[in-house]
Amino acid sequence: MTIEYEAVIGLETHIQLNTLTKIFCPCKADSWNDPPNTNICPVCTGLPGVLPVLNKAAVEKAMLLAAAMNAEIQPISFFDRKNYFYPDLPKGYQISQYNLPIARGGYLAFPMPDGSERKVTIQKLHLEEDAGKTKNDFGRRLIDFNRCGVPLVEMVTGPDLRSADEAAQYIIRLRQLLRWIGVSEADMEKGHLRCDANVSIRPKGSNVLNPKTEIKNVNSIVAVREAIQTEIQRQIREVEAGHRIEAWTLEWDEESGILRKMRSKETEADYRYFREPDLLSLQIDESWKTAVLSTLPELPLQRRARFAQQYGLPIYDADILTSERSLSEYYEATLQAYQGDPKRVSNWIINDLLRILNDLGIIAADLRVTPAYLAQIIRMVDENVINLSTGKALLDKVQNSGKDPATIVAEEGLAKLSDTDALEAMIQQLINENPQQVENYRKGKTGLLGWFVGQVMKQTQGKADAQLTRSILEKYLNP
Amino acid sequence: MDLCDYAAYQLAWMIRRKQVSAVEVLESTLNRIAAVDGVPGRLDGGQDTEPDKIHAFITLTAERARQQAQRIDQAIQAGEEVGPLAGVPFTVKDIFCVEGTPSTAASKILSNFVAPYTATPVARAEQAGGIMLGKVNLDEFTFGSSNESSAYRPSPRNPWNTARVPGGSSGGSAAAVAAGEGCLSIGTDTAGSIRQPAAFCGVVGLKPTYGRVSRYGLIAFGSSLDCPGPLARNVSDAALLLQVMSGADPHDSTAANFPVPDYVTDLEKPIRGLRIGLSPDYFRITYVEGESGELAQQPVPEDYQQAIYRVAGRLAEMGADIIEDVPMPHTKYSIPAYFVISRVEAASNLHRYDGVKYGYRTKQPVHDLREMYRKTRGEGFGLQPKLRILMGMYVSAAQYSEQYYMRALRVRTLIRRDFEAIFDPQGKYRLHALLTPTTPTTAFPIAQVYGDSVLMQFADQLTVAANHAGVPAISFPCGFDPEGLPYGAQLIGADFSEDLLLRIARNYEIVTESDQWRKRIPPILQNL
Repeated sequence: MTIEYEAVIGLETHIQLNTLTKIFCPCKADSWNDPPNTNICPVCTGLPGVLPVLNKAAVEKAMLLAAAMNAEIQPISFFDRKNYFYPDLPKGYQISQYNLPIARGGYLAFPMPDGSERKVTIQKLHLEEDAGKTKNDFGRRLIDFNRCGVPLVEMVTGPDLRSADEAAQYIIRLRQLLRWIGVSEADMEKGHLRCDANVSIRPKGSNVLNPKTEIKNVNSIVAVREAIQTEIQRQIREVEAGHRIEAWTLEWDEESGILRKMRSKETEADYRYFREPDLLSLQIDESWKTAVLSTLPELPLQRRARFAQQYGLPIYDADILTSERSLSEYYEATLQAYQGDPKRVSNWIINDLLRILNDLGIIAADLRVTPAYLAQIIRMVDENVINLSTGKALLDKVQNSGKDPATIVAEEGLAKLSDTDALEAMIQQLINENPQQVENYRKGKTGLLGWFVGQVMKQTQGKADAQLTRSILEKYLNP
Repeated sequence: MDLCDYAAYQLAWMIRRKQVSAVEVLESTLNRIAAVDGVPGRLDGGQDTEPDKIHAFITLTAERARQQAQRIDQAIQAGEEVGPLAGVPFTVKDIFCVEGTPSTAASKILSNFVAPYTATPVARAEQAGGIMLGKVNLDEFTFGSSNESSAYRPSPRNPWNTARVPGGSSGGSAAAVAAGEGCLSIGTDTAGSIRQPAAFCGVVGLKPTYGRVSRYGLIAFGSSLDCPGPLARNVSDAALLLQVMSGADPHDSTAANFPVPDYVTDLEKPIRGLRIGLSPDYFRITYVEGESGELAQQPVPEDYQQAIYRVAGRLAEMGADIIEDVPMPHTKYSIPAYFVISRVEAASNLHRYDGVKYGYRTKQPVHDLREMYRKTRGEGFGLQPKLRILMGMYVSAAQYSEQYYMRALRVRTLIRRDFEAIFDPQGKYRLHALLTPTTPTTAFPIAQVYGDSVLMQFADQLTVAANHAGVPAISFPCGFDPEGLPYGAQLIGADFSEDLLLRIARNYEIVTESDQWRKRIPPILQNL
């Protein structure tokens, strides 16, 4: 009899907060475009005698994240020292939070593509400082301290995920949330969102927790899915062969798609945590909390559900429209200006506007096609002022020029040609000039109607009212 | 009496009135240093061949000081506003970073470290017009009570008797001030490191309330206990230096925002009606019996006790109420709790000295990173840091932390409550200050105690409780023992009561002004 297995997965994430300055000193936090060791000072390089001073902005971003993760923000929390030696850890300890962190509890409920919902609990959510970067360079070890002191939130889930797909979906939804509430750029390539995965397996239906392995540095959505899938399969093979799973630490090699063993984890490291005496306790009173949380927007999954419910949109549309916060706001602003069918606005955005966003690599908030302009364009199409293809072409023209769509229509004479007399004259001439086609049509090749329509469009530069053209053509071709 | 023997407040006044120039004061002080200090402490110091010199300095920055003094004189000539310390020479314990100067912590591991920034208390003293003379010796990383653990040798000697230790860890500071090598010194106090050497050298030393003076730029020992503070030859000078050093600092979030009162103006206000306590728990020391491991007690020597009772008598003459038999029941646990807490913090604070970024790195070939760490730290640290790292690592290890570290923190809370009870304005005792001996003995002979780190620690027994509790305390001279060594009296007060402590101590100076013992000067200065 074959046993069916299920995976038990927990994810440990490090989220780089997008503050202007570092968590304990006034150095610039983002060094992505800067040469090594340029955003450093005595404090973040751990010179003798320096002291940390807590950056309030980092605390506020952590508060927003905690609230968005349904965690309970603590009125008093503490910083602790996590002691260990490493060349890129200049003080020899990391200032972190340990037993009394800024928030407790929390969960994220998110939909799976098949429509089911998963709920993942949060076991740990705390603030800490980042370490530097070490690079091996042909036997030399180079250290870049730019990243030292960049604010991080470490967030660890419970062992609640059951498949590689669920793990990937969690990271996708987390990334969406982080950007949505504006606490992190969450760019995995740049290390703004880093992930380690703890993986074990068990027979389906069991609730034991077996020895787990830890996969380090799964730093893309694809890597999360593939590394975990690979590890689940490896563990199943091992167990079926009668072997025990050992608590290894593994490293995912994204290029070759293989897991490498980094070390066996025989004993837990002792970091000799104790309270950081250089910082006061972190006190968050009700008024500060209220002020900060008042800036927390409606969250993406809530907005997604509301769009579906309030506007009668298919969940597919609601999902896309809420994939990014400014897009969802764009949608609602357009709908507000348009005052018409919500689905029609959704179609315009999903079918046409997203292409512009992708082509230009911008977000909806950056569009020169404002919601009011888009509403204007849709309305002109609705009212037969312009035809659909003109409307779509207008999107690019407005985006390129920033001009009012109505102005462009007037300036370029894009309004539909719906003057029946003019069209009749044009069609009459067309028929006279193409006797062969007329004859073929009348013999039964009715598909040629399209060719005639095309000729009219060509002559009118697409401005002819297609429906009107068609009916006049039919009248003349079928006397 | 030379210019360098004048009080800081007198010199500042004379310089401002152009009766004397800052350069003249500085040159007088540099002459004194040349006459009494001998060779400065050096890493390869070897045998001390000048047993009658003070050896307070590690780094004398005479040229830097001359430039500062000239600037002060120019400013005064130009009629510009100058600060309250204008032209007053002072020294800095070499545990503070001062931009462009070697900042060694008296350790080989920082022997080549030149600080790129200046510690807040030093910067403030310089902004007030003070002339920094240089960096003075201390126990390595402040770990000691005799100054003998410095890696920079010869270590300082006591000006009252150069065969005696100056105390520690601010030994260089106290010895320099006592010998006229600068009117003032900025020291640090983690368990008594300002007050004990002040007592041994017959000068005034004040440990402020924790957070009263910023720690930014102070190379950390026990971060929750460390307090920068002034050493001076008289109470008024200590008040003057404390005044300029105190206050909130954007670089130190543990520096208090509590307003800084005027420490100077009300110094001579009477002390009539102030309640000053005496506690039997401060007239004995408690120690662990070597054989049995039991706690044993020993009285402070009778003559030292009498010296403190005489202080109480003189304060009573001035109208203070003396309250006897004040219980301080947890005082006896101060040292064991301190052993644990300070070493956990010290071990962590010493992590950063790994040879990677700055400071000493082993010259031996190494095969890997671990070996580089091991050799660098093995060669760079002296015995005291090593002992403290070992113990600090042990008592904060996951399996022992509850038993030692967490327990010590609870003891610390009890010690704090002892003070809260006696200073409570609604409580039974309602004290303004507790009067105690500063030390269990007067200055002990060089090499007598060093090497026994348990015994050495008991030099701090009467001072360390104030560090646990975070409360301020001052030590001031109150006479001499039969061997001619100074006694130190200590006043401990409630949080932020430095102004009261200074006032009481200044009143004691006034009432004893014409006492015979006040006329004594250190023997080393007698034949100059």
